[in-house]
Amino acid sequence: MLNNNRIRMMTKLAVYEEKEGKEDIRLSKYYKTDYVRYQTIKSVICATLGYALILTLLFMYQSEYIIRNAVTLDYKTIGIFIAGFYIITITIYGFASIVGYSLKYDRSRKKLGRYYKMLKRLEKIYNEETPES
Amino acid sequence: MTSLLVFRERVKGFYQKYDIYVTAFVKFIFALITFLAINAQVGYDSRLESVPVVLGLSLLCAFTPSAVMVLLAALVTTLHIYSVAPIISIIIVIIIMIIYFLFARFTPRLGYVLLAVPILFFFKIPYVIPLLLGVIASPVAIIPTACGVVLYYLLLIIKTAITMQTNNSIDDILGIYTYIIDSLVGNKLMVMTIVVFALSLMVVYYVRKMMKFDYVQEFSIGAGALASILGFLVGDIILAQSEQIFIMILGNIASAAIVTVVNFFKLTLDYTAVENVQFEDDVYYYYVKAVPKMSVTTPQMKVKHINVKNVAHGISRANLHKYDDPEEGNDEDDMYFGRDGKDDGWNDKDK
Repeated sequence: MLNNNRIRMMTKLAVYEEKEGKEDIRLSKYYKTDYVRYQTIKSVICATLGYALILTLLFMYQSEYIIRNAVTLDYKTIGIFIAGFYIITITIYGFASIVGYSLKYDRSRKKLGRYYKMLKRLEKIYNEETPES
Repeated sequence: MTSLLVFRERVKGFYQKYDIYVTAFVKFIFALITFLAINAQVGYDSRLESVPVVLGLSLLCAFTPSAVMVLLAALVTTLHIYSVAPIISIIIVIIIMIIYFLFARFTPRLGYVLLAVPILFFFKIPYVIPLLLGVIASPVAIIPTACGVVLYYLLLIIKTAITMQTNNSIDDILGIYTYIIDSLVGNKLMVMTIVVFALSLMVVYYVRKMMKFDYVQEFSIGAGALASILGFLVGDIILAQSEQIFIMILGNIASAAIVTVVNFFKLTLDYTAVENVQFEDDVYYYYVKAVPKMSVTTPQMKVKHINVKNVAHGISRANLHKYDDPEEGNDEDDMYFGRDGKDDGWNDKDK
């Protein structure tokens, strides 16, 4: 027999699974630490790439000056500056990612909690319908 | 106002019914406008300007996620510039990549903003973006807005740079490159625009969130537009840019109007349309089409409201009014219509 109540519930669950739930369910496959670490590494790599590209542009911009003064340049100071800014950049991006993605994970978990609650209720209805299984 | 509300309900109903086609059509139109605007601004390569290419690309955008449109637009722009100045196009690619790696990848859902800001700049109404994002998004949206402003000014600078290019000697290229970076980094107008846009977005967002009174959303849009006008006025005075003031004020007013209209239909825009889902249990496969319930259209609600009052106070009072006030007599007709009509359940619920 068709149980309308159950079908309604299953429909709601299916809609959630297809729409916003997709991302939540994907996230639920990770532990929080793993997820946040993975995302943070990704942001740091992207920040590194961005920084490298900015350096490339800067180098091209100053290329005339650099080539002309290649012998007399103070490479140590330049190196310290580049490394210092790099460390500052990735620290900012790293921290922001840790905070941002932790919040995102928690929010997604909360939504998923409601989904699981409904799933449990569905299971209960299902068991009541077919006691032998 | 009532007829507007009715119109909104109709739009909602229409959207619900033909969800797939409407979305694809709207996306197609947006893509078409985007590619036409790009061609108008930097149309250096005639092959990309041909009608089949533009229509084909727009059609592709209609059926793919919005990220594809952003990517294609960037690609088309780069190819246009590549056809006249290969070196400059490399610089553009590098700058776009920097923007993506450092900023845009954190707000993937607002990627279209990057595209919309330059396009709306060409239509003289870029003020729409901060006002609209203040209404529908959070202050994080400042990031893609700022990136969009940078892209617009980059495009302007590059258009000038291309006219400067005479030959392909190393010195010439270096000179152009230095010019591009100098104008981009030292562009006070760009910085001012970013700051004012951010201010306008924050004003809309915080007025909408913090204050509680009727029509707060419309009020917040007005406040944002005002902040934008004042900000640009101050900025223009500081930078001594007086020739654009009139257009700026007009653009702001037009933007506020556009955003008010969009806000009015916002419920329609993020309205969940018909869902088609499938699932199974031990016995059946289910193919379910879930249609969200429509709210009753406004004129019907009005009829019922009068009806409720009359029913509550008894029919005799309604009859009494019939002789007192000719207008109320009409209501009585409505009442009988309502009582005999199908929607009687509403009255019970309201009581």
